[in-house]
Amino acid sequence: MNSITLQQVLPAVFSDTPPSSSEIWQQEITLQKGEYYLIEAASGTGKSSLLAYLYGYRRDYTGVILFDGSPSDLLSRNSWSKLRRRSLSMMFQDLRLFPELSAADNVRIKNRLTHHLTETRLREMFEELDMADKWDTPVNRLSFGQQQRVAFIRSLSQPFDFLLLDEPVSHLDDQNSDALARLLLDEAKRQEAGLIITSIGRHPDIAYNKIYTL
Amino acid sequence: MNLLWKLLRRHMSAIQLTGYWLANLAGMAIILLALQFGRDLLPIFTAPDSFLRSDYLILSKKVGTLQAIGLGSSDFTPQELDNLQKQPFTRRLGTFLPATYHITGTIAAGGMELSSELFFESVPDEFIDVRSEHWKFQPGDRTIPIILPRNYLNLYNYGFAKSQGLPQLAESIFKKVSLGIDIVGNGREEHFEGRIVGFSDRLNTILVPRSFIEWSNAEFSDQPHTSPARLILDAANPADPQLATYLDRMGYETEGGQQSGKTAHFLQLITIVVITIGGIITALSFFILMLSIFLLLQKNSRKLENLLLLGYTPAQVSRPYQWLTLGLNGSVLLIAIGLLCWSRHLYLPSLENLWNDYTPAGIGITSAIGIGVMIAVTLLNSLAIRRKISRLWDNR
Repeated sequence: MNSITLQQVLPAVFSDTPPSSSEIWQQEITLQKGEYYLIEAASGTGKSSLLAYLYGYRRDYTGVILFDGSPSDLLSRNSWSKLRRRSLSMMFQDLRLFPELSAADNVRIKNRLTHHLTETRLREMFEELDMADKWDTPVNRLSFGQQQRVAFIRSLSQPFDFLLLDEPVSHLDDQNSDALARLLLDEAKRQEAGLIITSIGRHPDIAYNKIYTL
Repeated sequence: MNLLWKLLRRHMSAIQLTGYWLANLAGMAIILLALQFGRDLLPIFTAPDSFLRSDYLILSKKVGTLQAIGLGSSDFTPQELDNLQKQPFTRRLGTFLPATYHITGTIAAGGMELSSELFFESVPDEFIDVRSEHWKFQPGDRTIPIILPRNYLNLYNYGFAKSQGLPQLAESIFKKVSLGIDIVGNGREEHFEGRIVGFSDRLNTILVPRSFIEWSNAEFSDQPHTSPARLILDAANPADPQLATYLDRMGYETEGGQQSGKTAHFLQLITIVVITIGGIITALSFFILMLSIFLLLQKNSRKLENLLLLGYTPAQVSRPYQWLTLGLNGSVLLIAIGLLCWSRHLYLPSLENLWNDYTPAGIGITSAIGIGVMIAVTLLNSLAIRRKISRLWDNR
């Protein structure tokens, strides 16, 4: 997938009172593969909704989202599953980890579907994010910041053209935030992927091609 | 799959699944057992050469006072025959044709001569349960083949011979006895040799080939008699209520295997009732499983959603639950078939003791039906699971 286009997209909840100065809602914008986008938003402006629309698990909007020019709402369930294994990856704000599984198993459950990374590479990533000693720890015994890093590594365990990250560093200190940003850039470059990152304050420190205000 | 299973088996209720398993086993075992028992017993009633073979009925009209004093006729008119032929329960219809002249039979044995008045009847060959190459007659032949009811042989061997101090005779010896037949009628008299070619379980009369009766009636009878007084009916189902009603309405009497026909019908009825009960239990257990799995899906719905968001397809997410149902249903089937074999092991010897030459039906068809039911149930389960998970996707 090379581009994502939003045409006049507006969440259904805003239909009565459309926001006056959004750079995304009710606009026509195209996001390109290989470019890095930051979407800054105050809370309650629909940032998670936007990512949910792009990732295809919510439909409560008007307007059209196009993937390489074809409407995304015409995709079948299996096409969406395929996209989520090969083209689109997402790190959710609420992480959506499996609490009873270990950190490693949470990543493996994705990686076994895609066979994208080796077990060694996964361990290296845990190492780089200062999580090596949490490999076998059940996720429900990790802090939110630690869980964020597990969810992040999981989002890298697949090929992608676009990586969507919903407040990826909200609970990380500067050191970990920088480590995450390095890893993120490495992977994005290697895959020539586009990044779409939302933030209400803290965000990974990388050179964005475009910053939108929602 | 392993990780998936590790994740999705949570909240699984062992009690619910055991409950389902036992209920399904009960239903399945009842269905298979009833089916097999019915199939094992049926040959006793319906095998072509079974002594309980019931499809042939001998029909005659009730003999009342009128006939006794020479008025009215107990013969069947062509219209009545035609009407009977048209009934839905009639497979084939044959008539008894009697000889209408005087017959005397003589047995000469050991210098002693025993003679008696006899009667002959014939039915179409396809109704005769005795196969013999000698069963034929052409005008000009001096030998008449004869079939006797097996009853006569038994009467002689167990009644007459024992009380009179005569030797008991095997069938093969009877077949060698030479019988003198003298026919008188139409002002003529002729001598024939009679030869017993077999014994019938079905027909309680002295049978000769139809060709002989037709020829001899024309030769020796002064009353060209054409209307038959007795009929042989091959009924599709002798226990058919329509048949009973019809016979009753027409005032016909039956002789022959209607009793065993009723028994066979009753057996079929019981089999159907029991299979229905088994089917209901299976259907109920099916709903237990569906409820249990739906509850499980409900409790795991968040996990299932997340798996779908990670790129698992609905089919992949459904699979662990489908394997679960397949495992449950498959083990139920295997154990039900095991139970079936074990109970046959218990009841077959007594059936074999009761009837000689009894060959039980195989369990092939029953197993195939069991497998069919299991495949159907598992497919339904799988479809329901798949639908439920797809709905999870849509409602998210």
